[in-house]
Amino acid sequence: MSIGVQGLAKRFGGFEALKNVSLEIPSGELVALLGPSGSGKTTLLRLIAGLERPDAGTILFHGEDATRRDVRDRQVGFVFQHYALFRHMSVFENVAFGLRVRPRHLRPPEAEIRTTVTDLLKLVQLDWLADRQPSQLSGGQRQRVALARALAVKPEVLLLDEPFGALDAKVRKELRRWLRRLHEEVHVTTVFVTHDQDEAMEVADRIVVMNEGRIEQVGHPEAVYEHPATPFVYSFLGNVNLFHGRVAEGRAEVAGQEVAMPDWAAGLDRDAVAYVRTYEVELAREPNGSPAIETVLRHVRRFGPMVRLELDRVEDGQVIEAEVPRARFEELGVGRGERVYVKPRSARLFPR
Amino acid sequence: MAGIVTSRLHAAPDRTSALTEPRPVRWALTGVALAFLVLFLFIPLVAVFTEGLKKGWEAYLAALVEPDALAAVRLTLLTAAVAVPLNTAFGVAAAWCLAKFRFPGRSILLTLIDLPFAVSPVIAGMVFVLLFGTQGWFGGWLFDHDVKIVFAVPGIVLATTFVTFPFVARELIPLMQEQGPEEEEAARVLGASGWQIFWRVTLPNIKWGLLYGVILCNARAMGEFGAVSVVSGHIRGLTNTLPLHIEILYNEYNFAAAFAVASPLALLGLVTLVAKTAVEWCQARELARGAGAS
Repeated sequence: MSIGVQGLAKRFGGFEALKNVSLEIPSGELVALLGPSGSGKTTLLRLIAGLERPDAGTILFHGEDATRRDVRDRQVGFVFQHYALFRHMSVFENVAFGLRVRPRHLRPPEAEIRTTVTDLLKLVQLDWLADRQPSQLSGGQRQRVALARALAVKPEVLLLDEPFGALDAKVRKELRRWLRRLHEEVHVTTVFVTHDQDEAMEVADRIVVMNEGRIEQVGHPEAVYEHPATPFVYSFLGNVNLFHGRVAEGRAEVAGQEVAMPDWAAGLDRDAVAYVRTYEVELAREPNGSPAIETVLRHVRRFGPMVRLELDRVEDGQVIEAEVPRARFEELGVGRGERVYVKPRSARLFPR
Repeated sequence: MAGIVTSRLHAAPDRTSALTEPRPVRWALTGVALAFLVLFLFIPLVAVFTEGLKKGWEAYLAALVEPDALAAVRLTLLTAAVAVPLNTAFGVAAAWCLAKFRFPGRSILLTLIDLPFAVSPVIAGMVFVLLFGTQGWFGGWLFDHDVKIVFAVPGIVLATTFVTFPFVARELIPLMQEQGPEEEEAARVLGASGWQIFWRVTLPNIKWGLLYGVILCNARAMGEFGAVSVVSGHIRGLTNTLPLHIEILYNEYNFAAAFAVASPLALLGLVTLVAKTAVEWCQARELARGAGAS
């Protein structure tokens, strides 16, 4: 089922959680709502589910207005951050709940409920825990029960609120892969909320980056990462360094460097902020004639294929982070406290 | 009682020693607590029964089965039978809306629930006389329609209900607040109706707390004196509850009978304590069973 959101707004007391948000989610897609806490992503999810009522705007399911539709009639599956399993029911009864509460004429017979629940528990690989109480399960197991419970009612949309937020790193990684595979299997439109960029990048077909109640950018993970639309997206996805500079006459001056900016019309003369990813930083022991930023190496962290460096800019003490391949770092041969000259290989400028 | 205290003392060294007091201090504190318990709980309890039995078993039983005493027992049971279910229903409803929803006036309602605790029961009784008495605001209308509230059974039930108003709600609000609205939301998304959510999700989650509140509410409903005393009118055999009946007997210097009638109430207190402990034990066991494997 496709989801459409048009001009959605919601405030809680004096706090504007969502400001005029519009979004199209095609049927069958796996979408991540990505943003820092307080960015409105959970509010948007709860509005789609019908757990909150919008102050303005419309929500469309399949192109039909569902704004006033009751939660019960929306045919959504919702997975809560803290699982919200029914604590006094066994795993089996938790999953069966959605089927048991149906009106009598729609309720499947007991035998059918049994097979459905058993199949779902097999799907989430927990059929051997059917008789346990939720409190006897680990976090990852609880989250999978919550998913099976949500799928039991055959939802047309699956909504997950920070599904892996409360789990430890290893389990989280496993569950991500698992969710991806599950989505390929059941192919139901899925929206999940996360503040973890890696999670969004790894799992989602499309990412919706949110900040302060607004959507900053929507796109495929690579597109959003490679071509951030706003300074916020740039700084939220991946590690970046920030430099202040000026643009004028189609050229920009950033950290003492001249950069050609043909995109920008001549005559434009204003302050700008340049974002440089940590791996787009060129390092050298000598300035080599061309202008470069003079820094002192403060910290070296070596693990994995990349070496992470922390450099202090001599001019104003600004911290610059850099990532270089291990081989390049060995070749450079600098130690802590030594001079290093930094040149941004590429930068993305945003006028102010 | 002593057994519990000493076992706690033995357990103390297992905990961080920084929090453990020197032995003499511990013994002194325990001694003070025990002496207090004996002086204020145990001795009075024993006194009730010894005084009641002073004139022998026959006099004791005669005081209990005397018609006025039986009428008082009946009225007390009736009052509790009305007040407790009313306050259970109200308490659950109030706790539900206070714990699960945010709305304007929420904190005012929260304060209002505590009002019967804050106000002296005598004043509560006087308010009902002021409202429904012959000279009261609605007195004239009630008199014209031949409805008797004050100095009759309805007044006693009203006053008792008012005084025992907060017990269930007070017990449930923190419990429901701690559990949060998520399970109810989950049930709602899964298609459950309001009733289904209440019976299948909310009620099972609060059952022990609810039982606990009901037990306390019942004990107070049967034992209430002040408010009931004001609205009752002390008509023997008609508007006397057990506590009032005891007072009358006592004022008539009929001590043995007074204490004899007091003994079932004292017993009720003991039963309440046992039931309360049992509920707490069940609750703890359920928690432990849940937490054991996680």
